[in-house]
Amino acid sequence: MQQTATTFDPIALSILWSRLISIVDEAGTTLQRTSFSTVTRESNDFAVVLMDRKGRSIAQSSVSVPSFLGVLPILTKALLKDYFPLETWKEGDVVMTNDPWLCAGHKPDIGIVSPIFFEEKLIGFIGTIAHSPDMGGQLWGAGTRDVYEEGLMVPPTKLLSEGKPNETLFNILMHNVRAADQTVGDIRAQVAANDQGIKSLLKLMEENNLDDLQELADAVINASEKAMREALLAAPDGSYQYSYDTDGDGLGTGCHFEITITIKGDEIVADYTGTSGAHYMSINAVLNYTFAYTAYPIKCAFSPDVPNNDGSFYPITVTAPEGCLVNAQKPSPLGARNVTGNMLHSVVFGALAKAVPNQVQADCGSACWCIVLNGEHKGKEFVEYFFLNGGYGARPNMDGEHVLSFPTNVANVPIEVLETDVAVMVTEKSLLPNSAGEGEFRGGLGQRFSFKNIGEKPINVSMISEKTQTVAKGILEGGDGQMGSVQILPERKFPPKGLDKLFPGEELILTLPGGAGYGNPADRDKEAIATDRILGYIS
Amino acid sequence: MKLGIDIGGTFTDFVLFDDRSNQLYFAKTLTTYPDPTVGIFNGVKELEEKFGFPVKEMSGIVHGTTLVTNAVIERKGAKTAFITTKGFEDVLEIGREMRYDIYDIFLTMPKPLVPRNLRMGVSERVDIQGNVVTPLDESALQSLTTTLQENGIEAVGICLLNSFANTAHEKTVGEYLSAHAPNMYYSLSSEIMPEIREYERSSATAMNAYVQPITDKYLKDFETQLRVAGFEGNINIMISSGKLTTIDGARKSPIHLLESGPAGGAMAGVFYGKHLQEENLLCFDMGGTTAKACVIYEGEPEITNHFEAGRVKRFKKGSGLPVRIPVIDLIEIGAGGGSIARVNTIGLLTVGPDSASSTPGPACYNLGGEDPTVTDADLVLGYLNADYFLGGEMKLNVAAARTAIETKLAKPLGISIEDAAMGIHKIVNENMANAARVHVLEKGMDPRHFNMIGFGGAGPVHAFGVAKLLNTKRLIIPVGAGVTSALGFLVSPVASEKIHSHISELRALNWEETNAFLRDMENDGYQFLAQSGIQKKDATVQRVVEMRYYGQGHEITIELPEGPLDAETIPEIEKRFIKEYEFRYNRAIEGMQMEMVTWRVVVQGPVPEMEVKQFSTTGSDAQAYKGTRKVFFEETGYLDCPVYDRYALKPDERFDGPAIIEETESTTVIGINSTVQVDKDKNILIDLQY
Repeated sequence: MQQTATTFDPIALSILWSRLISIVDEAGTTLQRTSFSTVTRESNDFAVVLMDRKGRSIAQSSVSVPSFLGVLPILTKALLKDYFPLETWKEGDVVMTNDPWLCAGHKPDIGIVSPIFFEEKLIGFIGTIAHSPDMGGQLWGAGTRDVYEEGLMVPPTKLLSEGKPNETLFNILMHNVRAADQTVGDIRAQVAANDQGIKSLLKLMEENNLDDLQELADAVINASEKAMREALLAAPDGSYQYSYDTDGDGLGTGCHFEITITIKGDEIVADYTGTSGAHYMSINAVLNYTFAYTAYPIKCAFSPDVPNNDGSFYPITVTAPEGCLVNAQKPSPLGARNVTGNMLHSVVFGALAKAVPNQVQADCGSACWCIVLNGEHKGKEFVEYFFLNGGYGARPNMDGEHVLSFPTNVANVPIEVLETDVAVMVTEKSLLPNSAGEGEFRGGLGQRFSFKNIGEKPINVSMISEKTQTVAKGILEGGDGQMGSVQILPERKFPPKGLDKLFPGEELILTLPGGAGYGNPADRDKEAIATDRILGYIS
Repeated sequence: MKLGIDIGGTFTDFVLFDDRSNQLYFAKTLTTYPDPTVGIFNGVKELEEKFGFPVKEMSGIVHGTTLVTNAVIERKGAKTAFITTKGFEDVLEIGREMRYDIYDIFLTMPKPLVPRNLRMGVSERVDIQGNVVTPLDESALQSLTTTLQENGIEAVGICLLNSFANTAHEKTVGEYLSAHAPNMYYSLSSEIMPEIREYERSSATAMNAYVQPITDKYLKDFETQLRVAGFEGNINIMISSGKLTTIDGARKSPIHLLESGPAGGAMAGVFYGKHLQEENLLCFDMGGTTAKACVIYEGEPEITNHFEAGRVKRFKKGSGLPVRIPVIDLIEIGAGGGSIARVNTIGLLTVGPDSASSTPGPACYNLGGEDPTVTDADLVLGYLNADYFLGGEMKLNVAAARTAIETKLAKPLGISIEDAAMGIHKIVNENMANAARVHVLEKGMDPRHFNMIGFGGAGPVHAFGVAKLLNTKRLIIPVGAGVTSALGFLVSPVASEKIHSHISELRALNWEETNAFLRDMENDGYQFLAQSGIQKKDATVQRVVEMRYYGQGHEITIELPEGPLDAETIPEIEKRFIKEYEFRYNRAIEGMQMEMVTWRVVVQGPVPEMEVKQFSTTGSDAQAYKGTRKVFFEETGYLDCPVYDRYALKPDERFDGPAIIEETESTTVIGINSTVQVDKDKNILIDLQY
């Protein structure tokens, strides 16, 4: 551990480290620009990670969403251990899998890993994960009953062997997914992004006379680890509990979360014992994914400035009983596991508020709502994803922002783009006054978004909403945010999660929850209240 | 005689081209606040007194200013209201719902330029094809106008949903306002940015309205004062795309002035490139707080339509207000002379992006700054001359620079002051080279294939280091490196750019309709040029379309074939798209349909010829060689380095690096393993050996 300080001085390390990050960022930009998947390109739902030959991450693309934190290294370590031992890799090999338990928790997320050879020696790996347009099975959403309904699963398989494509695998893919050109196009884009990263890395090695990656890997990993450990050391030791309820199906079968966070010295353990069992809807999370969304708020609270790599996560342990909602086992359905992942920050910050109240934010109006529309428009089949966010939670020193994505980071689809792609007309998009939790600092407002089917055919809707029965919980005496709702006109029952149809002329009215407040509302600045009134944030 | 005037934050720069003698003249005055025209006329007076050129003899003036940018950054625009389709008043505030920093839970998003209580909805709706679904409720316009007047509104942005497909409702609202509230400025989104994506269009429209009253007043004053002074020539204004517009054009769409200064710099790069017969150049411009890099490829800078103004975090993508106007594609990074160096939480040396600015400034300025900066490092290393900063106008304090570096960096890191200073110099160079490399790579090009041109106050100090990191073969430090933007103004063409959103698969295009709108856009352009006295026969037309594979979300720009388009031109368009796509992303996708999104027609006047015979400088017959001083280079440590006076350099003079060349606005630092050659115009050409 100590050799790093002597191998790279603080100047050389600073320079090489930013080069490593710029390599993965560059590859990420290419991937985003060339991908078809809305989720990848508009919502940064991808990651590029550079790893050493042990599969430890050295650098991760900086705009990636949290769901992929730590996932590629876990996958690569598993590939090395159980599928393709180190000595079997050849230059030009590329391995693909979308196994949710090895990868990112549901089948649309495809992991692609390539080895990096320098002067005929394997020096590391580069991997990308991206959300593919489709993997077959039922339309993506919360409505599947088991993992088999969620489409094709490719166990770790060589997509390319020494540069030669695995035609059988490509053929199977082409015949099993919707919009096959786009899905396969995106897989190729991932391979190309890996190649670009490899090229840039080799250039860096040459320019700096490095013949191996190991020392540099040790140096950056140790530095990130040290930063995280020091921040944890500064926090008070203790065990902090928090419990939290979410919608589940939104019809009465909810989910319950229990967390115990234990900080001891420079280590932190998050345990989910007491959390409800696997849900019948496809909102179950595998442990990889739970780890990512638990480690993310911990990193935000303790070490937000230090670039992340394996070292950032060594001091973090996440445990959950096998088979529960956050450690789901086969054949639990997983499709919309993001709903569950998106709630973990609430639980983690809720517990951490008792230890480091100035390093956390109040609960957000999450999870991000995901709506998939499928049907026919202008003679063509469309599958359109779009996203809506609720209010952001208040901070210890400022209000929450209105309508802002957290913990995922997903942009909305412009109204005019949606109307181009699908036979709908949007009838309202506005901030929702009075929806934020009160507090010394208030939460951010939620929003209302309504749209109408103006076509002649019904549109299939896969709906993932959250907090239509529960709320964003205020912390340290802060108030709760307002809950959301899903309504349809003319009025009838419409499921908050799962599949239904929007018939011609029907209008769907979605009200997204507000963010929660922080601190006692009695302590709120009078001027801030007056401003909120003038602007109509409160009435 | 033509005059370029560039108002920057600190200085107002002047470049005068005398077309009788083919000579260039430079001047610099302090920018004056609150009325920058005072500074302009100080400079005009100086030009007359020093060189004998009165303003009334000039045939043309080209102007650029930071006024618009500063109004947005400092939120000093007009009291502005915003009118949109009822039910969508909050689109301007909601934005894209995305964070610009993943790990910072304490981030703040940019506040909209128009607050919620001044955003008003009108009942109307047009569908995506442009069909009216709900007619505009004209009866509501009267009370709306009264509300605006009661609130003391000076300017109004009007952006209705799908107005790029049907402009009628926006026009009606605008016409009503101009008839009933004639003193109120208004901006229509269908004129400012007729493109799909309501938030981005709203943002540009609101911003245009927000800056319009101050820009309008300023430009009117500017013009009036010039006319009073007897100036009778044409006045043109530099815009962000490296083109010129008229005063009227600028008053109507002031947001196009946002990047006029940097665009001028890039156009100067184009000019120098042509002059030095370098078709492909990387322009590197480094000042007090930022550095910029811009690619000139085959003699042209690339234009992008992605731009943000007024960022909450200056160098963080996504933290500003989007403005989709054509802008010369350059990257800006937080690396300048004032950038502060620190030891970060994990014990590594980092530089920037925050800057000590001019107050308190670097420690060596002696103005109370205690943080070590890039300038402090450059001074400690001997690159800067403590007695000849800004030509000796400002004395630098070496001891203060050393103390700042020692206490804040060298001691905590356990290294020498020189090593810490070299660390700062190297890291800032590395940051700039990294950013430049990514910028070039994103265009699918190889940075090693570009020679570099360096300017700006700190540019010549760092250009050599950056060039080395990029494996650049030749580095050029041009004459006039301190006033490049103003020079660029004089070599930019007058042009009109028209935009039209029309989304359709290539193979499904209605050719008659397509040719008709392209023709209309072209004719509008000719009319615009006529206002600057440019005839149709002298104009060039560029028609481009932004297209993508059907289903993608990012477009690339393709030049359309000349003449009317029809089914026969499809293969040619496809070929061009595939070529560009392969160039950028290495490989095309077989069998995918292509889709056209936004169409642009640029009608451009001739690029002003400027056959410069001589760059006038305050010449000197003295020896250029001033002696040696101790300068620290990474490879050698301190050595006795020759120092030259830029003004006394003779054409064709040659020497080897290392060397320091001093001039008033900057210092050129030349490392070892290089040869220096002065060309006939006194540009410095540096060849690097590897």
